[in-house]
Amino acid sequence: MKKPKLLWLQSITCNGNAHSFFNHPELFSILSHFELLYHPLLDTEYILEEVIKTQLACDVLILEGSFREKGMLKGGVELSTVVEVYAQKAKHIITAGTCATFGGVFKEADPKNITGFAFDIKEKTKRHELYFSKLISLPGCPIHPKWLSFVLLMLAKEKDIVLDDMFRPQELYGITVHTGCSRNEYFEWKVDTKGFGLKEGCLFYEQGCQGPHTRGSCNKILWNDASSKTIVGTPCFGCTEPDFPKTALYMTQTNMGIPTTMPLGVPKRAYLTATGIAKSFKIKRFEERIIKYDG
Amino acid sequence: MKIADKKALKRESIIQTALQLFSTNGFHRTTIPDIAKALKMSVGNLYNYFSSKDMLAKEIIKYTSEVLGNEIREVNGLEVSTEEKVKKIVTLYFRMAKEKPEMIEYFLRVYLSNREVFNDGCEGMICVSGFITEIMIFFDDGVESGALRNQDFFSAFGLFMGYLGGMVFLKGEEVLPNDIEFYVEDISRNIYNALKV
Amino acid sequence: MMVKKLIEKVEGEAELDFSFKNNKIDDVTIKFGFYRGIENILTGKPPRDALVITPRVCGICNHAHLIASVRAIEDGYRSVGMKVNLTNKANDIREFTLACELIQNHVKWFYLIILPQLEKLLDQQGEENHALKASYLSSTITKALAIFAGQWPHSSYAVPGGVTCDPTYVDVMQAESLVDESIKFFEQIMVGVKIDDILAMDSVLDLPKIGGDLGKVLLLLGSSGMAEMGKSHDRFIVFGECLCFKIGKSIPTQVSTIDTNYVKEERQKGSMAKSVTYKNRLFEVGSLARGMIAKEPMVKALHKRYKDSTLTRIFARVYEMGLLISYSKQLLKRLNLQEESCTFKANNRPMDFEGVGVVEAARGSLIHKTTVKDGLITNYEIIVPTQWNLSNGNGEEQGVSTKAMRGATSVEEASFIFRTFDVCSVCTTQ
Repeated sequence: MKKPKLLWLQSITCNGNAHSFFNHPELFSILSHFELLYHPLLDTEYILEEVIKTQLACDVLILEGSFREKGMLKGGVELSTVVEVYAQKAKHIITAGTCATFGGVFKEADPKNITGFAFDIKEKTKRHELYFSKLISLPGCPIHPKWLSFVLLMLAKEKDIVLDDMFRPQELYGITVHTGCSRNEYFEWKVDTKGFGLKEGCLFYEQGCQGPHTRGSCNKILWNDASSKTIVGTPCFGCTEPDFPKTALYMTQTNMGIPTTMPLGVPKRAYLTATGIAKSFKIKRFEERIIKYDG
Repeated sequence: MKIADKKALKRESIIQTALQLFSTNGFHRTTIPDIAKALKMSVGNLYNYFSSKDMLAKEIIKYTSEVLGNEIREVNGLEVSTEEKVKKIVTLYFRMAKEKPEMIEYFLRVYLSNREVFNDGCEGMICVSGFITEIMIFFDDGVESGALRNQDFFSAFGLFMGYLGGMVFLKGEEVLPNDIEFYVEDISRNIYNALKV
Repeated sequence: MMVKKLIEKVEGEAELDFSFKNNKIDDVTIKFGFYRGIENILTGKPPRDALVITPRVCGICNHAHLIASVRAIEDGYRSVGMKVNLTNKANDIREFTLACELIQNHVKWFYLIILPQLEKLLDQQGEENHALKASYLSSTITKALAIFAGQWPHSSYAVPGGVTCDPTYVDVMQAESLVDESIKFFEQIMVGVKIDDILAMDSVLDLPKIGGDLGKVLLLLGSSGMAEMGKSHDRFIVFGECLCFKIGKSIPTQVSTIDTNYVKEERQKGSMAKSVTYKNRLFEVGSLARGMIAKEPMVKALHKRYKDSTLTRIFARVYEMGLLISYSKQLLKRLNLQEESCTFKANNRPMDFEGVGVVEAARGSLIHKTTVKDGLITNYEIIVPTQWNLSNGNGEEQGVSTKAMRGATSVEEASFIFRTFDVCSVCTTQ
C-alpha cells in the first residue's frame, strides 16, 4: 500500500504547533506511516520553493496558523492561493491549532482580514462550504501533540473519526478541560484556592479558570506526558475555544459574584442551587494543606 | 386520592400550622402537643411526619424559602426591565408580608434568632437556597442586561433584602403610619437607584 | 552580481539578497516578510494578559517571553513602591524551567540545523536521523519543564510574585531523573566526554578530546576551513539577569556595565524586522556573548585562537548546554519546597506603571517593556535577540551576521554562517 502524502503548511503562526508536535515521544514512528512532503522543522523531500509551485500531489494537508486572503507571502507567492490548490487536492485537511481553526491570537491584529481556515471565530468562512467534507479541526494554542498523532494514525489506518459540528474529534473535544483536573474535589465543594502557588483549591471562582466550559482533553491526556495548566495552578485560558483569547485572563468574570460563564451545558439555576448548598459546608480536609511539612 | 398524596397534604398542613404558631407564640414556647392540638391530630401521629420540633423548624424554613423563591422565579422569567422587576419583587414581598405575615415573621423571628436550631443540617444557605438562587439569578440578569452595577453579591443582597426585612419588621412592630403597600413605589425606586449602573 | 536566496525552516523564512564582488560575498541584505503585530494586540488589555499573549510570539522560545513579561510587570510594580520579593524557591523554579527551554533550543539548533546543514554543505551526508536525537532530548527536557510549568510550549505559570505551581518531591524526583537522562545524552551522544570534563576544559589543546556529534562538527569545520569563517564585530552584550550568566558588554579589550536605556530600535527598509543598537553600535548576543562576558575559560581559549568565528560560536552554544544542564541539576537539588511559591497576594494591584523585563533567551537578550495606565496596557515593546544578530546594520556599521557572511565564497557557505546565529523569523517579526 502506498503511504499517504503529508504536507504541513504554515501561515500566520508562532510555530508552536510544529514544536509541540515535534516533542511527541513517538514522532518518527507516527510519521513513518506517511510520505512527508514538507514540514516546517524536519528535513523533507521538497523545499518550500518547490511546494509553492503547487505541483505536488497531497493526501493529508496540515494547516498551521491563521489566514488572510492578501498580504501573506511565501517566496513571493500569496500563501492563500497555494493553500487553495492543496486543499482541493487533499483527501483530509487538518487545521492544527486555534489560529488555523478559528483565527486565534493573530486575528486580533487585523480582525477584519485575518480568520481561521474554515471558521472566522464561530462563523463559517467561504472555504467551509468548499471543504467541509474533508475538514478535521484540532483547536488548541498550541495543539496537543497526542491529539494530532491520534488523528494522523486514524487516517493512516483508514478509520473513521467521529466529529462534532465544528469538525472536532468527539473523542478529544467531547469532554471539558475540567475532566480529570486534580482540583476536582475543590470544585465539587466550591473551595476556592487562596491565591496562586497552592496545590489546594479550585481556580474557577477567582483566578479565571475556564476549564469547566472549555472543550479539550488536557487533563485526560497530559501535556508532555507530565502535567497540565490546572494541575500546576495556572488557570485554563480556554485556548481551544473559538473566542480565544478573551481578556482579563487571570480573573474570573462575575456578575455580582456569580461566574458569567457556566460549566458547559449547566443551566445557571442548577449551578447556583448546587453551589449554594455545597458552599454551606465547611469541610476541614478541604481547608487544610495536603502536605504538612512541619508535622 | 392516593395515600401518598394524602400524606403530602397532611404534611403541608402541619407545616402551615406550625409556622403560624411559631411566629405568633415564639419557637421555644410552642410545643409539639400545641401543634398537634391545633391540627386535631395525635402527638404520636405528628411524630410520624416529623421526628422532632427542630426537624419541623428546618422543614418550615425550606418551605417558606421555596414559596418565596417560586414567586421570584416567575418575576425572573418576565420580559420586563430590571427596574420593573425590582418593583415586582418588592410588591410580592410586601404582599406576602401582609397576606402571610407568619412566613416573613418566621424567617425574621425564628430562623434568624434561633441559629442554634438550624446549625445542624441547615448551615449556610442549604435551607434557603430556593430563595437565594432566584435572587442570584435576578442580580445576574440585571448585570448582564447592563442595568445593574457589578459588585459583590452580599453588598447588593444586604441592601435589597435588609431594606425589605427592615420594613416588614417595622410593620410587625406597628410603627408604620401607612399600609405597607403605600411604600412600594418609593422603596422600589430607592433600591433600583442604589443598585443601578 | 546579485543572488536571492530563501532561507527556510528558520522558525519561518528569511530572504537574503547577496551581492558578490570578485567572487566573494561583499554585502547581504536580510528581509523578513510578515509582521504579526503582537505588540499592538496587547494594547488595551490588563497587564497580566501579556503573560498569556507574549509566549505566542514564538513557538520555540515562548518560555523566555513569559519570563521577560512577568519581570516587566514585577519591575513596574516595584517602580510604584510595591513589594515584590520572590522566594528562593520561586526564583529557582523559574530559572530551572528557563534553563530547560534553552537546552531544548540549543539541541534543536544543533541537530536540525548545524549538523545536517554542515554535512550538506560539505557533501558529507550520512544515513543518520539527526532530528530523532533533537526530538528525544527536546521531549525529555521539556517534560521536566512541564512538571513545574504545566506544559511546553505556551505555559503561563509565572505570575507576579512567583510561580503558580506547588510541586512535591514526587515532581522534583521525576524532574531530576529527566535531567540525569539529559546528562547521559549530552555526554554519550553530543560531546563524547563527561559533562564535568568538558566544563573544566580551558585550552585549544583540549579540543581533540571532544567526541560525539560535536566532535564530528568540529572536525568538519576544521577540515573545510569553515572554522575560521563567520567572524564579525567581535563585540558582545548580555542584558539578562538570570541563569548562570553575567550581565555586561564586551569589546576585544574589556568587559563593562550596561544600561537598557541606551538600547535603540530602528525600522529597516524592505524588512518587517527592526534593528537594535546599543549606543549606536552593533553587538552580538547569544551563547557566545554569554560565554565571553562570563569569561568561561574554554570559550575564551577558543576565542583567543578563532575569534568570533563559526567554530567559537557553535562550540560556545553546545558548551552552554552543558553549563545549563549541570546548573539545572543544582537548582533541583537545593529546592526547598516548604517556601512559598507565590508571595504576591495583594488584591490591590497598581493601575499605573512602567516596567522593563529582561531575560537571556536561547538566542540572546530579550527585553519586554510594558506601560500601564488605568489598569490597561497602553504600550508594549518587545526587543528580541535576533534583532541584534540579524539586523542589516545602521548605516555606519554592518549588521552582526551580515558582516560575518562577508567574504564567503558561495551562497551556501554564507547561508551556513547565517544559521550559526540561529535565526528565529517569528521572533524577529513579532
